[in-house]
Amino acid sequence: MAAELKKAIYPENATIGLPTQHRFDPYTLNGGTIVGVAGDNFAILAGDTRLSEGFMIHSRDTSKIYKLTEKTFLGTCGFQGDVLTLTRLLNARLTMYEFEHRKKMSSTAISQMLSTVLYYRRFFPYYTFNILAGIDTDGKGCIYSYDAVGNYEKHTYHASGTASSMLQPLLDNQVGYLNQEGVRRVPLTIDKARTLIKDVFISATERDMYTGDSLHIVTITSDGVTEDHFPLRRD
Amino acid sequence: MFMTRSEYDRGVNTFSPEGRLFQVEYAIEAIKLGSTAIGIKTSEGIVLAVERRITSPLTEPESMEKILKIDNHIGCAMSGLIADSRTLVDTARVESQSHWFTYNETMTVESVTHTVSKLTLQFGDDDAGAGAMSRPFGVALLFAGIDEKGPQLFHLDPSGTYFECEAKAIGSGSEGAQSQLHELYHQNMNMKEALITVLTILKQVMEEKIDSNNVEVMLIANVQRGNFLH
Repeated sequence: MAAELKKAIYPENATIGLPTQHRFDPYTLNGGTIVGVAGDNFAILAGDTRLSEGFMIHSRDTSKIYKLTEKTFLGTCGFQGDVLTLTRLLNARLTMYEFEHRKKMSSTAISQMLSTVLYYRRFFPYYTFNILAGIDTDGKGCIYSYDAVGNYEKHTYHASGTASSMLQPLLDNQVGYLNQEGVRRVPLTIDKARTLIKDVFISATERDMYTGDSLHIVTITSDGVTEDHFPLRRD
Repeated sequence: MFMTRSEYDRGVNTFSPEGRLFQVEYAIEAIKLGSTAIGIKTSEGIVLAVERRITSPLTEPESMEKILKIDNHIGCAMSGLIADSRTLVDTARVESQSHWFTYNETMTVESVTHTVSKLTLQFGDDDAGAGAMSRPFGVALLFAGIDEKGPQLFHLDPSGTYFECEAKAIGSGSEGAQSQLHELYHQNMNMKEALITVLTILKQVMEEKIDSNNVEVMLIANVQRGNFLH
């Protein structure tokens, strides 16, 4: 009886009690790793140049390091679409600031602006993980790291991206001298930092599928900027 | 409703055949009815002083504020229609805070003046945003403060024109006061000398006898950033 009633009310092929689901997938993770290290009078920002999606490599030479001003650089990874939009937006904001206030933006001003830019997209974020490196107004190197919604912190070293969980403990040990007893804390030199960054990326490339191809290293001092490229494993 | 030649001074958005905007010029004239305000820049900081016109002995002189704080490092003196300054000062305060919020740095005096100047030009536009009026603002402002370039003094008039000054007088006694400034001002003045100069000049151009009630002073000192003294 009940079955007949049900048949009368609902057509035989109708699905009952199952909600229709719509899926919205606006993000992709394009992988890659960035590292920033700040010393007393320098800041180094490095990132691999692989752009991938799952098992597919889209590009082997797409740098994750973007020049913002003469002494401020942005390292950014995550979803490449958002990376492109974010960097274009930042460049526009930098130009507008220069016209409006008749001066270049300082690294500290950019660090706060990036945080607000990200936070204004609190409920539809840019899926990007950023490290800002520069020379502050006192001539000292500075590194700022961000999450996707604008939480940021000033550091002396930081790793972000797909291999960050492998690199960060290594940097903690080698740069921060953390979790060790009786260790001699030697101030970091540019050469030591650069060598260390190459080493950590070589190791990360061995373990992380999304990191590799080549390494782009930007060294910022108050005297100028030097850029280096270093080959990494391509498999 | 055809405009005759003599009626070009009625509308705020019509140039006269000679290329003048009469309402803007009249607004500048309105400043000359206001009480005198003087600002002097020194290497140590800035002195602002304004005359208070007390029309009745029953008014509380303290309530006639013509020098206002914009931010911890910027002050503003005014002359003209003081009520018109409210929206301008509000804008300056909001923009200064907004700048700190976005860039985590204090806004320069020039940038504050620039932002306010944009608002002074938005008259006569029905679609203009909040704060814009149907007529030009009848007030002139002296923005004074200490920023990364050191002490700074800017003058802004109702036409939206602004420029940096070492010493500037606005208001009814401005002509006499400005020529006095030309004589008395020198670049290596200290704050005390500047204060004495400002008060001496005010004394000369004021109709009333100067006393502690009818003059308002603000010192923005270099020693400690944003050290305000009223």
